Amino acid sequence: MTELTQFIVSGLAIGMVYSLIALGFALIWKSSSVANLALGQIVLLLSWFSYSMLVEAHLPVWAAVPLVLGFAVLLGWGIERFTLRPLIAQPILSLIAVTLGIGYFIDGLVNLKWPQSTGALPRIFPTDTIRLGHAVISQEYLWVAGICLVVFLGLTLFYKYHRMGIAMRATADDQMAVQACGIPVTRIFSMSWIFACVVAAIGGILISSIGGISYGLVETGLGAFSVVILGGLDSFVGAMVAGPIIGLAESLGGGYLTPYVWSGIREIVPFVIIIIVIMFKPYGLFGERRIERI
Amino acid sequence: MSSLPCGVRNYSYAEDMAIVRTRTQWVLFVGFLLLLFTAPLYLGNFWLNKINLIGITLIAAVGLNILIGYCGQLSIGHAGFIAVGAYTSTILSSKLGLPFPVALLSAGLMAGAIGLIFGVPSMRVKGFYLAITSIAAQFIIIWIIRHWTGMTGGNYGLTVPYASIGGFIFNTEIRQFYLIIGIAALCVFFSKNIARTRLGRAFIAIRDNDLAAEVMGVNLFYYKLLAFFIGCFLAGIAGSLLAYWTGTVSPDNFRFTDSILYVGMLIIGGLGTALGPILGVVFIRLLDVGVLQLTPALQSAFPGMPGGFTTGIAPMLFGLVIIMFLIFEPRGIAHRWELFKASYRLWPFSY
Repeated sequence: MTELTQFIVSGLAIGMVYSLIALGFALIWKSSSVANLALGQIVLLLSWFSYSMLVEAHLPVWAAVPLVLGFAVLLGWGIERFTLRPLIAQPILSLIAVTLGIGYFIDGLVNLKWPQSTGALPRIFPTDTIRLGHAVISQEYLWVAGICLVVFLGLTLFYKYHRMGIAMRATADDQMAVQACGIPVTRIFSMSWIFACVVAAIGGILISSIGGISYGLVETGLGAFSVVILGGLDSFVGAMVAGPIIGLAESLGGGYLTPYVWSGIREIVPFVIIIIVIMFKPYGLFGERRIERI
Repeated sequence: MSSLPCGVRNYSYAEDMAIVRTRTQWVLFVGFLLLLFTAPLYLGNFWLNKINLIGITLIAAVGLNILIGYCGQLSIGHAGFIAVGAYTSTILSSKLGLPFPVALLSAGLMAGAIGLIFGVPSMRVKGFYLAITSIAAQFIIIWIIRHWTGMTGGNYGLTVPYASIGGFIFNTEIRQFYLIIGIAALCVFFSKNIARTRLGRAFIAIRDNDLAAEVMGVNLFYYKLLAFFIGCFLAGIAGSLLAYWTGTVSPDNFRFTDSILYVGMLIIGGLGTALGPILGVVFIRLLDVGVLQLTPALQSAFPGMPGGFTTGIAPMLFGLVIIMFLIFEPRGIAHRWELFKASYRLWPFSY
């Protein structure tokens, strides 16, 4: 029972970080129909950048985090402006391949700047334990879950009430109509990339403050695709609901199956879920089913 | 056939279908083959080694070209299927002692079978969903290889004996050169011909619009899975040759980034052309050689470089090249070559 509580709490917290990263994907997909396959590498790069700020430059947290977020804004803007903008209205293969190219580039960049294979962020959150019945839970997980909830809430409010948020939703709905209304669609694309990178930065900091930084973060970022696939590609609600489900599956599967199968089963859980969902329910739980016409 | 040299006419169907048409083309073609197959006479082991790597990569790229370029089914897990081929042939030859040709063919069949499994979702989904499926395939395959230690040796990998047919052992770079280049040439010829048959035309119809193809009577299920099988079969062959050529297999040789690089090679060379994979593979591998030769010099010239310069610069360059090609020449080098040929033929009145 105590084990179970621990698995559930840590699974839910990690799952919410997944939701956060997946949200970054859904933002871009909804506004510009670009599938960002460089997500894993972006998370890795931003985590290493925060490592640089926090550990190598010895900045305090209140100074480092805004710097990291600023860098994320710059990164998102740069990627959209210099690689996606010239490719507007190109076939989907080009759009997917260009994000792969970006991922490859960032991979090299990370290798170049931070050749060491692992790094540890200082503990940002208090690590005192909390007792829940018999279970002992690190306070970190609660902080992570709390921050995720705050970001979700902020984004939801932004989308619902802010002028830009409304414009972004409108773009997702009908790009032509938005253009006809005089809203600069390119700025919307730019904004969605910036948002996605900022959200990825927050997710990266949260997840690497718990588990450290390693190349496995790319797999974590790619594993976040299981969240998008399960939740439905163009649904924010889907991403928020599916994240904790994936996190739970990973943590419970890793916790209870390890004695019976090969160790390290939790690394592979998201990918197995991807295959199962695509085979049986390809548009996910909340995804919009598109009807194709010739 | 986009344009033929001036004065070439077709008097029979066979003439129309011939790959090599004019006397000049014959001379160039035979000359190229002669030059290629006498390469060991005037090239040292260093360049033979590079050509062998190019040949193996080419076989895999040709398979991927059939899958992505002709049939339009995006797969970003090609390195995983290559790994399946490499491990199948290694296990068959080192543990069961099967002869090389049997191991080679079973590697292809095994990779093709695994490709069929991961190709099934292509029935219901396409584009991004399919890309994700193939990424998942890559990670699942490599994870199984890493953890099935009893069979695959886990992270340490396995050693592979030399390939041999009859009593002839392919134990030098030159012998392997003839083996690899021979198979690579066969594969290129095979893919060139596939594109011109009923099969290739069905693939192209599916790529251009799969719904329209289905309405016209193309059996989507059969042809999409066949494309997956052929593509992964060639990946398996390439993997098997890679294992025999390097003498070891380990999961680190088949990373996700390699899968990306294969897609990149096709984009740089030109998707859906017979020439594209050749140009793309040669371009990327030569770039690799160039980077490896230049980085030590650069590092000694500028001592202030960060420590990961040697390992980081190549991926950065590859990523940059892929992005540049997509933006400035999405149809690849093969398209530029066609343009050049057309303007050469029409010279001095080219425009």
